[in-house]
Amino acid sequence: MTVVVAHKWAPNPQEATVAPGGTVDLSRAKPAVSEYDPVAIEVGRRLADAWGCELVGVSVGGPEIAAPMARKAALSRGLDRLVVVADERLSGAGATPTAVALAQAVGEVEDVRVVLAGDSSVDEGAHLVPSVLAGLLGWPSLAEVADVTADGGALVVERAQGSGSQVVRVDGPAVLAVAADAAVPRVAGMKDILAAGKKPVVELPLAGELPAQPEVVGRAPVPLAERGRRRIDTTDPDAAARELVAALRADGVL
Amino acid sequence: MTTTWIIVDEPGVAGLLDTARNLGRPTAAVVVGPHELAASTATAGVDRCLWLGETGDAPVEAFATAVAAVVADGAPGVVLAAARPSARALVGAVAATLRAPAMVGAVGVETDGDTVLVEREVLGGIARRTERCDGPVCLVVDGGGVPEPGAAVPVEEVTAEALAVRVVENRPSSAPQVDLAGARRVVAVGRGLKAKEDLALVDRLAEAMGAAVACSRPVAEGSGFLPKDRYVGVSGRTLTPDVYLALGISGQVQHTVGIRGAGTIVAVNTDADAPFMKECDYAVVGDLYTFVPALAAALQS
Amino acid sequence: MSEPDFDVAVVGAGPAGCVTAYLLAQQGHSVVLVERGEAPGAKNLSGGVLYGRVLEQVFPDFAAAAPVERRVVRNAVTFLTSTGAVGVDLTSDRLDGNAYTVLRARFDAWLAERCEEAGVFLMPGVRVDRLLTSPSGAVTGLVAGDDELSARVVVAADGVNSFLARGLGLRPKPAQNQLAVGVKAVVSLPRETIDDRFGLVGDEGAALAMVGEATGGIGGGGFLYTNATSLSVGVVLRLDDLAASGASASDVFDRYCEHPAVQRYLRGGEVLEYGSHLVAEGGLGMLGTVATDGLVVVGDAAGLTINSGLTVRGMDLAIGSAIAAAGGIGDALDAGDTSAAGLAGYRERLMAGFVGKDLTTYAKAPAFLERPRMYRDYGPVLEDVMVRAFDLDTTPRKHLASVAWDALRTSPVGMLDLASDLWAGVRAL
Ligand SMILES: Cc1cc2nc3c(=O)[nH]c(=O)nc-3n(C[C@H](O)[C@H](O)[C@H](O)COP(=O)(O)OP(=O)(O)OC[C@H]3O[C@@H](n4cnc5c(N)ncnc54)[C@H](O)[C@@H]3O)c2cc1C
Ligand SMILES: Cc1cc2nc3c(=O)[nH]c(=O)nc-3n(C[C@H](O)[C@H](O)[C@H](O)COP(=O)(O)OP(=O)(O)OC[C@H]3O[C@@H](n4cnc5c(N)ncnc54)[C@H](O)[C@@H]3O)c2cc1C
Ligand SMILES: Nc1ncnc2c1ncn2[C@@H]1O[C@H](COP(=O)(O)O)[C@@H](O)[C@H]1O
Repeated sequence: MTVVVAHKWAPNPQEATVAPGGTVDLSRAKPAVSEYDPVAIEVGRRLADAWGCELVGVSVGGPEIAAPMARKAALSRGLDRLVVVADERLSGAGATPTAVALAQAVGEVEDVRVVLAGDSSVDEGAHLVPSVLAGLLGWPSLAEVADVTADGGALVVERAQGSGSQVVRVDGPAVLAVAADAAVPRVAGMKDILAAGKKPVVELPLAGELPAQPEVVGRAPVPLAERGRRRIDTTDPDAAARELVAALRADGVL
Repeated sequence: MTTTWIIVDEPGVAGLLDTARNLGRPTAAVVVGPHELAASTATAGVDRCLWLGETGDAPVEAFATAVAAVVADGAPGVVLAAARPSARALVGAVAATLRAPAMVGAVGVETDGDTVLVEREVLGGIARRTERCDGPVCLVVDGGGVPEPGAAVPVEEVTAEALAVRVVENRPSSAPQVDLAGARRVVAVGRGLKAKEDLALVDRLAEAMGAAVACSRPVAEGSGFLPKDRYVGVSGRTLTPDVYLALGISGQVQHTVGIRGAGTIVAVNTDADAPFMKECDYAVVGDLYTFVPALAAALQS
Repeated sequence: MSEPDFDVAVVGAGPAGCVTAYLLAQQGHSVVLVERGEAPGAKNLSGGVLYGRVLEQVFPDFAAAAPVERRVVRNAVTFLTSTGAVGVDLTSDRLDGNAYTVLRARFDAWLAERCEEAGVFLMPGVRVDRLLTSPSGAVTGLVAGDDELSARVVVAADGVNSFLARGLGLRPKPAQNQLAVGVKAVVSLPRETIDDRFGLVGDEGAALAMVGEATGGIGGGGFLYTNATSLSVGVVLRLDDLAASGASASDVFDRYCEHPAVQRYLRGGEVLEYGSHLVAEGGLGMLGTVATDGLVVVGDAAGLTINSGLTVRGMDLAIGSAIAAAGGIGDALDAGDTSAAGLAGYRERLMAGFVGKDLTTYAKAPAFLERPRMYRDYGPVLEDVMVRAFDLDTTPRKHLASVAWDALRTSPVGMLDLASDLWAGVRAL
């Protein structure tokens, strides 16, 4: 029995610059383990410990994801080993080709009980890869998962439903996208990182054809409203408050 | 000719229908849910309405494979689903079966024969891209409200097998519902708020302003000061109030995309270089703990 | 004692730490490189001119392989006054290959990648809290959070604030006149706009130094460097002078950016990042003990910067000290003696190399640069001379020498001051 966690090595678009023509320059944005994926790794670690089984990370993407930095960043957060598919064709790939490569990686792991994923990736933010992956595997997928436990051969999953929650039972394997606050991820220490350097990593060549990717035929900046950015100093908070109220009244919004 | 498919798992699908109608193709809906949902979908202006039968104690997600089979069989061109977890589970399986691109953030869709042109916001909304797909494409867009009823088409029931998932227990929330979408004025708080008790400060201001209270994601999900349906942004709500007052929110793009359509934006932040200060009409540089009471007082006088 | 975890533990993945780690790994030693930033370079304020000859000794092809922004072919020094700017502007083929502009977030990351290729164990996202020492006081490793890590030699490459070196009492707390604060921003502009405004073509770059009104008369200067699609702009202000003036560094920076001579380059740009950082300015006077039992100190941590007023140098000295340290540490490891005596080769190599020589050459520069006239008075005098030369207002012309004489006579700079400054300047620079 094995627990698998899918995690992405991705840049934060907050650090990107966008040229007037809409071209995005991500070279200043440092890639890292995507913001919410450490939560999934932490949930996976607890589950694997509770079940006494192995926790395997899977990650797919461009060649940079196989670099030692990327491997250790993930492994030091509690994975036992890692399976990666690093291929130029997966750089910036959409949800479907990404999920196809992930399905290949998951297929290499024996006796998978559950695949955990993060809420959404920091760059694409699509909330889609887990459900496409589930579709490819023929398994059910559930999102916004707060907690997972085992009951015999079944998974008992608690997930958010509307503003409340719901408990769901899954017989057989599933893909679960965990909620952003399902666990507090651990901070890797020196010993974790040292240990990470010794953990096994399998690098798989991308097998088979990827599904066709859309062709980019146009780029544009986002049309943003011009905003005044009028600075209001609060050395005297009351005067500042009066200034703002007067301004908002003048704008007709109060 | 290809068919535009709409995935329906909840009543709020008017947004999907608008997009579908603009494409000028035959439309078909596949409905996962109780019979009433199928019946109302049949009057929403679609050409066909397929229903997978009563779901019993299976959650919507249990029908992902069944939905994928129905759509794959129906000459799909554009497949539309609402930005909700359950609908994403369904459309994800469709994309897997069709090996078709699955995308979010579409602001415009056109078809030309089998070709689909999608203009969408990418990377959390920092830029736009137009992409051409030769073949079917799955899009996740804002579901919108409940569509107006019109003439009905027959509900075609399809027998479907559910995946092995069952609901064991529902725990509805007791938190009061707040109509954020309808609010003309919104006061939002971020991690600049130190403690849950301090919400009282914000509530007093909101009352003085006649505003609803929203927040950034960490306030709802990390610290849990407010319910999850109150946070604004790419993963949360999109709001278009006349005035949006952001207190102690840094203004990361994932948050600000949710209020780009707001009338006037005020950002209150101790850090004059916070990103929000560049995307607002009034940049109030200062401590929310001193400014908020002052503002509440100024509003009352 | 059990086997240490590594032969060498380097703290700080700036230029000094990366090059030390790289060279030692190449010698076949096991090396760990610990950096508090989530990625190397992430914490380092971007933008600077790298005087690159020394890096060629380590990576002969770095100019082609590393992510450098532009090749500096134009150097200018400008005295800003309240009404204008006057300066010397050098564009020369002879500068080719001398210096490159770099953005540290990319450049440091590139250096760290080379380290990993050479077998260095890179450990980002870890802040070292203190050093481990033996009862006799020898350094034996590091402590970060709950974890300890042992090494035969620890290299403190943790920058100007180096509390590792300071914690051991290797470096006294610098005096205020030995420290400057740098405020710096990176401003994005389209490549073509930069080319046009600075008169550049292709990968050509410019480095402008500005003094005088640039800092509102506070000791220090301003700079403006071209990157590929951004400008690095900032001021470096002597702490004692800044404190005496009562101004805040960010205000001086804002005023600098708004000066017409600077504004015309920055116009329309968007600030991508902004921050401030200390700069050690003490020159040779600040260089403390660079090696003790089990520890060596390199780069800014050792106080290795030279501020000549015209150039701020630190990265090249950091790299130079790294080369010397890697040599000294290598010898010590090979000899099995990592005590202060065993590591003494580092200081010898350092002082024999260009770092030591330049430090000695510029030893008087800090004191020279403390002369207030440098920042306040010469700019207006020069401007006056030039205006009188060019402003053909139909009054009868005079010879340039007497123009200069008049300008000097009406300025607060006395003849004796001028003579003294000239003499001091020639000797210091
Ligand atoms: C895939 C993905 C999706 C995301 N989706 C969303 C989303 O939908 N919505 C969302 O909001 N976020 C989202 N995020 C998170 C987002 O990136 C930011 O982390 C988040 O918006 C930051 O919240 P914040 O501004 O409240 O907190 P911080 O970034 O910590 O900012 C707090 C601010 O408060 C200021 N401050 C502190 N004290 C005071 C004081 N006393 N007075 C005034 N100001 C003060 C600080 O200067 C700071 O600017 C997403 C992230 C990812 C990766
Ligand atoms: C405004 C300004 C302008 C400058 N312009 C130039 C220029 O144009 N040309 C030039 O050559 N030099 C310039 N310098 C000087 C130059 O930046 C430094 O001399 C150079 O960076 C020194 O390199 P270093 O490797 O010694 O230290 P740093 O580059 O400071 O690197 C130290 C590293 O150690 C890490 N660190 C610190 N403490 C810890 C810890 N406890 N645990 C783990 N990691 C830690 C830091 O995160 C950092 O990455 C400038 C400096 C300033 C401030
Ligand atoms: N390239 C990838 N490799 C591994 N996991 C991924 C990848 N892309 C997305 N995921 C997983 O899918 C989740 C949702 O991603 P997204 O659909 O891009 O928002 C992420 O949080 C990851 O857990």
